[in-house]
Amino acid sequence: MLKILLDRKEPSREEVRKHQNFNEILAALNYQQKVLNPWRYWYYPLLTVCLLLLV
Amino acid sequence: MPLQFSFQQQSFLPEEERTQIERAQQDPRFFAPLYERYHDAIFRYVYRRVEEEEQAYDITSSVFVKALQAIHKYEYRGLPFSAWLFRIAKSELYQSFRDQKAQRTVSIENVVLKQVIEDWTEDYSEQDKAKLLRALKGLKDQQLQLVEMRFFEKRSFKEIGEICGLTENNAKVKTFRAVLKLKEYFHQKE
Repeated sequence: MLKILLDRKEPSREEVRKHQNFNEILAALNYQQKVLNPWRYWYYPLLTVCLLLLV
Repeated sequence: MPLQFSFQQQSFLPEEERTQIERAQQDPRFFAPLYERYHDAIFRYVYRRVEEEEQAYDITSSVFVKALQAIHKYEYRGLPFSAWLFRIAKSELYQSFRDQKAQRTVSIENVVLKQVIEDWTEDYSEQDKAKLLRALKGLKDQQLQLVEMRFFEKRSFKEIGEICGLTENNAKVKTFRAVLKLKEYFHQKE
């Protein structure tokens, strides 16, 4: 359902800048990359297997 | 006075911006100047289409995260970099509407509403205003988007085309048809 808002007050440029900054975006990107990395779950088990094989 | 959202239109990518994009493609930390340049415009584009301010911040944030994830795939094809960002914003917005995380909203200034009515009728009345608001709700989403960008945000047809993936002429034709439809609903008897 569509909602129509009349004469809505918009936050100023400064308010927007205060609320969000590039470092937060970069942190969110790093977190997502970490979470989405398919090696995340396999890294330690694989490392253990490799070490065991070496031994 | 309605807020202006348009950027200065350029037919080519400025050298400085091209360099910034190339650097950002190598390392996301260099995306900062592009973020500073376009964040406000993207935020306002989103803000006018969702009900809650916090949702607008969340969606804007995911727009830039998506942009950073995809920047390595960005290729200059004659469109300004802002068009690429607006397309991501549009897609993120519609994803939130589909997931029902955000309420589709149209933000209009009374002054603009009055101007539109005065163009169509001899004089403005509260009844006409209610009729126009009802007519807007009758439009299909694509038609509403075009009317919204052209009349409420005062964007050029070129910019509308870039955001919607249409040619400038096609954007003109489709907006004209959307306005005809809006007029038809406006003049319809209850």
